[in-house]
Amino acid sequence: MNRWWAVGALSLAVCGLWVSAGGAQPETRRPHFTDIAPKSNFAYRTDNNFTGRKYFPQTMCGGVAAFDFDNDGRMDLFFTNGAKLPELQKTDPKFYNCLLRNRGDGTFEDVTAKAGLLGKDLGFSFGVAAGDYDNDGFEDLFICNAGRNTLYHNNGNGTFTDVTGQSGITKPKDVLSVAAAWFDYDNDGKLDLVVSNYTVWTPQIDKVCAINGQEYYCHPKIYPSVAHRLYHNLGNGHFEDVTDSAGFGKDLGKGMGIAIADFNGDGYMDVFVANDTVRNFLYINQKNGTFKESGYEWGVAYDENGNAHSSMGADARDYDNDGFPDLFYNNLKGQIWGLFRNMGGKYMSYASGMSHVSRLSEHSSGWSNGFFDYNNDGWKDLYSSNGDIDNMGAISRQPDTLFENVDGKEFRDVTTQVGADFAHAGFQRGSAFVDLNNDGFVDLVVTSLDERPRILMNSADNGNHWLLVNTIGRRSNRDGVGAVMKLTTASGRTLYNHVSTSDGFMSSSDKRVHFGLGNEKMIESLEIRWPSGILQTVKKPKADQILTVTEPSR
Amino acid sequence: MSAAAILALFAFALLAQEPAANHDAILQHAIALQQAGDLDGAIRAYRDYLAVEPDSLQARSNLGAALARAGRYEEAIAEYGAGLQKSPDNPALLLNLGLAYYKTGRYPEAAARFERGISLSPQFKDQVTLLLAACYNNLGRYKDAVALLAPLEKDKGGDAGFDYIYGTALIGGGDEAAATAVMNRILSHGDSPEVYLLRGTLELAAHDRDRARADLEKAIALNPRLPGAHARYGELLLAVGDGERARAAFAQELALDPDEFTSNLNMGVLAKEDQAYVEARRYLERALKTRPNDGGVRYQLANVDLATGNLEPARQALEALTKESPEFAEAHASLATVYYRMNRSADGDRERAISEKLMEQRDALQTGTRPR
Repeated sequence: MNRWWAVGALSLAVCGLWVSAGGAQPETRRPHFTDIAPKSNFAYRTDNNFTGRKYFPQTMCGGVAAFDFDNDGRMDLFFTNGAKLPELQKTDPKFYNCLLRNRGDGTFEDVTAKAGLLGKDLGFSFGVAAGDYDNDGFEDLFICNAGRNTLYHNNGNGTFTDVTGQSGITKPKDVLSVAAAWFDYDNDGKLDLVVSNYTVWTPQIDKVCAINGQEYYCHPKIYPSVAHRLYHNLGNGHFEDVTDSAGFGKDLGKGMGIAIADFNGDGYMDVFVANDTVRNFLYINQKNGTFKESGYEWGVAYDENGNAHSSMGADARDYDNDGFPDLFYNNLKGQIWGLFRNMGGKYMSYASGMSHVSRLSEHSSGWSNGFFDYNNDGWKDLYSSNGDIDNMGAISRQPDTLFENVDGKEFRDVTTQVGADFAHAGFQRGSAFVDLNNDGFVDLVVTSLDERPRILMNSADNGNHWLLVNTIGRRSNRDGVGAVMKLTTASGRTLYNHVSTSDGFMSSSDKRVHFGLGNEKMIESLEIRWPSGILQTVKKPKADQILTVTEPSR
Repeated sequence: MSAAAILALFAFALLAQEPAANHDAILQHAIALQQAGDLDGAIRAYRDYLAVEPDSLQARSNLGAALARAGRYEEAIAEYGAGLQKSPDNPALLLNLGLAYYKTGRYPEAAARFERGISLSPQFKDQVTLLLAACYNNLGRYKDAVALLAPLEKDKGGDAGFDYIYGTALIGGGDEAAATAVMNRILSHGDSPEVYLLRGTLELAAHDRDRARADLEKAIALNPRLPGAHARYGELLLAVGDGERARAAFAQELALDPDEFTSNLNMGVLAKEDQAYVEARRYLERALKTRPNDGGVRYQLANVDLATGNLEPARQALEALTKESPEFAEAHASLATVYYRMNRSADGDRERAISEKLMEQRDALQTGTRPR
């Protein structure tokens, strides 16, 4: 553990005192969400091509990325889409992917064709990851597919070019890739790529499962598990598949969401992959280009009953502000959503029960998810996009859930108190957290099968303060992915977060790091540990601003 | 047939015998009080008599029976036990002791006394067989129950009590075809809560949850006190993700029978999931009392130890479990975590490898014939 974190641990006691004082404060107004998608003219609907026959991948459709593709300071949106089955081709415009440019007036312009991102030649698309892999200052896109995966280079002029062929990013034949995350595992200043793979699948080997003559989506166990893949960024647009040499090839899973964080505080980013019906993997970075799968040691491989559930989305953030990133994954109705508290960077302690997450979640089948401080009170809340796997049964369509963090100890369900648009019932899948209007309150974008996405604007009306930090790396990767931040308010309260766009399921969020400050207007300091190892302190930054921080040279 | 009915049978069989010693007046008075339903008076009188005739097996046995009828089973067990110390092979005492154990959910002890009693006095077999089979069912020894009851099916088939216990054993033993035949036999006599429970149990095992729900709800509507009905309904609710109502169903079952195994196990697991570890341990230990060697319960208790940082007892329990059941993949996985936490990496790696291999083998057998 480095010195920076030792300081973090010492401040814990102070933080605890603050929490007691904070708990006595009167409760502020609760923000609500309003869907503004109907104000915009775009054709995209999440289309999994369900026409009666139940093909295995149809349950997963509608990845979301929130990123600023044109560097105009406003976050734009990208959505992935399905394909005609069994052809496994985007034979019709209704299957095209979609790029929406944020006009800044609450509406979005469909610029997909102009940007070259329709994806006509792609198969069934799932997850998307945004990241500036070539450090040119423009965010690129990686898309996971049944069919070939795709790397799009952002040309910086509003267009993208498919550069997969020359990138060296390949995968074994017919492997179905679900999600991806950009991160710099060797801290060499270039973003590497991890891809969670699910199985080997083609329409031709799709299996049919039925009970009493009614078809249902087959249990994943009948499909083989596969290795997730790690690609090392060599620079100049080239990647090397280091899956086996880095230790990713040994463990076979059914990959879903990916969470990136430095779980043990050693300055190197680790990787958590949620697996569907297979134990979860936690790859701890060995700081020499290899990883050790340590799910057992850390206690996150299985639930407390030794069961591997249908883990879906995943996120890693510090929900109790103790300086160590915690972990969350959701799964299906009747299973137990997994909330794990990081115990000083040594292992994870199961926290679903005491935090009430297990009981709050038992009626929901979750997909994408994540920690985000929706009310800017300084405690990260828990969001989950929900909906059954299948369309059988009366409660297949489900509302999303929002569990409000109470002093970093427990959660309460406020789903029905944050607006009717939020509580919409459907087969929700992808989601991204993003501040679309730069007002310092996090908005939410959610896809649902066979529906237009919801663009849920946060009412931002409780008067709480905030800081949004936009990192620009110099020695580190330009996005600053992996930069760890500690914010200390004037009262001495400490808040933690880190740069990672990968959260939930199939989705990629606003890369800017968000801090809610509650009713505090003054910040004492913002400390940043860059992936390069450089420590930077910003003294007394103003609250309620988007603060761009450029990495110092040393 | 209820255990209480059989309990009364044994108790009054003994009361009808003539007293063998003097102080008859006290003894006769005690018997008269018991027959009149004045159990407290009878208990006092038997104790007065035993103060001067401590070796009277009859008074000891009758006192036990009175205590049992008063619901004071632990005292009854003590009296029967004292009697058996003087006469270890007394079949009536053995059977009455077995009944008291049965009523307190101590099925292993009950089964042992019934088995011994029958071996000493086969004439009791007719009266005890169903209770012994019920013990076997409660202990998860379904095949033993089937072996005991199958030879009697020709004569006893059609009796509701017999068919229910036999059908339960067949379902537990996995013989769905034979269970269905028994169920149809009950159905031929018309609607009954027992048949709905049996059918719902079969449907639950077949993942046909809609039908299982309908049948189990009918069983409960017809007889809310039907043993096992709330427990099965709780299992169904758990399977469909309704943990809150499952808790209520298990609690209802435990209100009827505090020793019902499935309900105690599931309540223990649910409490463990809530991280209410003290409560979890209480339920699980109660389940373990019913089935002392049950690997599933012992595994859950070991995981409570692991979750609460009691690594050494967790290690011991999991090592014993994996030794007894080398194919218990989850136990190997938990043991791996225990070893890692104890900084025994090599042992952890070994257990992890075993666990993964076992789970791979299990996955290879998956047919995908059920929705998730």
